[in-house]
Amino acid sequence: MNGVLACHGCDLLVDVSQLGDGESATCPRCGNILTRYRSDAYSRVLAYTTAALVLLVLANSYSFLSFAASGLESVMTLRQTPIALWEQGMPEVAVLVAAFIILIPAAVLVMLLLLCIPLQYGRYHPWLVTMAKGIFIAQNWAMVEVFIIGVIVSLVKIAAMATVVLGISFWAYAGFSICFVLAVASLDRYQCWERIETLGGGN
Amino acid sequence: MAATTAASQNLAACHLCCKLAPADVHHCPRCGSAMHLRKNDSIQRTLALLFTACLLYIPANIFPIMYTDQLGKTEASNILGGVILLIDLGSVPVALVIFIFSVMVPSGKLMAMFYLVWTVERHSPLDPRQRTVMYRVTEFIGKWSMVDVFVVAILVALVHLGGLLVIRPGIAALSFAGVVIVTMIAAESFDSRLIWDSMEEPGSEDRTS
Repeated sequence: MNGVLACHGCDLLVDVSQLGDGESATCPRCGNILTRYRSDAYSRVLAYTTAALVLLVLANSYSFLSFAASGLESVMTLRQTPIALWEQGMPEVAVLVAAFIILIPAAVLVMLLLLCIPLQYGRYHPWLVTMAKGIFIAQNWAMVEVFIIGVIVSLVKIAAMATVVLGISFWAYAGFSICFVLAVASLDRYQCWERIETLGGGN
Repeated sequence: MAATTAASQNLAACHLCCKLAPADVHHCPRCGSAMHLRKNDSIQRTLALLFTACLLYIPANIFPIMYTDQLGKTEASNILGGVILLIDLGSVPVALVIFIFSVMVPSGKLMAMFYLVWTVERHSPLDPRQRTVMYRVTEFIGKWSMVDVFVVAILVALVHLGGLLVIRPGIAALSFAGVVIVTMIAAESFDSRLIWDSMEEPGSEDRTS
């Protein structure tokens, strides 16, 4: 059954072996986007992943937001978001927030590097399968773009109370969220697994 | 007219890596994940998780999601209260954004999932394509209702000006995070292929190749 894919949405068998560079296949029955073939997919993923990792380090190194009212000021870093929840007696929510906005995205990025560098250079390692599984399970639980919307909503909520200044980390995190979303979106599930199988078989 | 599905060819597709393998294989030959023709007990699992989410949704709405301590006075606000307060303050657009993310998205998601399960169970003849799109939208917006929890997290971390103004998290933040996570898992355990299976008449399994 080479080159045939079962649609995730409706189970229809679709032949996707004739895709040209940049073309994508759509399920004729339910409209689901099945796969997209790009010859430079892995270099794209690597570029976005590297940028996202650099920006994530920056986002963790400076102040995220600062808040001033009546002569008093408080500064917040990215790390303090979960830490403050922990200190206020909500360790469960703190762990979830830390996982969704920092830990899972960071883990996905590292796994993307470990997966896409060998795929780009055509080398097979037995752990490629583990990396790909990890990425596709974890990617749904990274909420970086949701967090950015959360920051914007909070800004508007407290703008009336005090002056809020956006720090370097905020801009770094905004850039990080864009690169992260693009990196994950550039990795095509079907093509990536086919590539791993081809490399493994030719070993 | 029955279409050529993987199931009609006695093939199962791996949910993680898309590999097609004979339906009697239990582990994917490519990635080792458990393989099923359809997700296991999809309807029962989805319904159980949806009821859990409904239960969690009650404390999420009646208990305060955060407390504002301003000059010795403590003010508790719940999800809906926050929206009403914003309308009173005159910021209708923000109130609308919060209303959409924290009221409409979670409740709409629950209703959509119940509706999908219901139509599959009673073999509804309604357009399966539309229902598949509905499922995909539900799956996509799942994580967006976490916005509210993140807002609380950010305000708690940012606003702590000694005795002047402090924001503390409330128990509803935990219940609400629970609602979001449980509905995400519910959407994941639903199998949209069942929508299409239920369209084909029972007993008329297509075996043409």
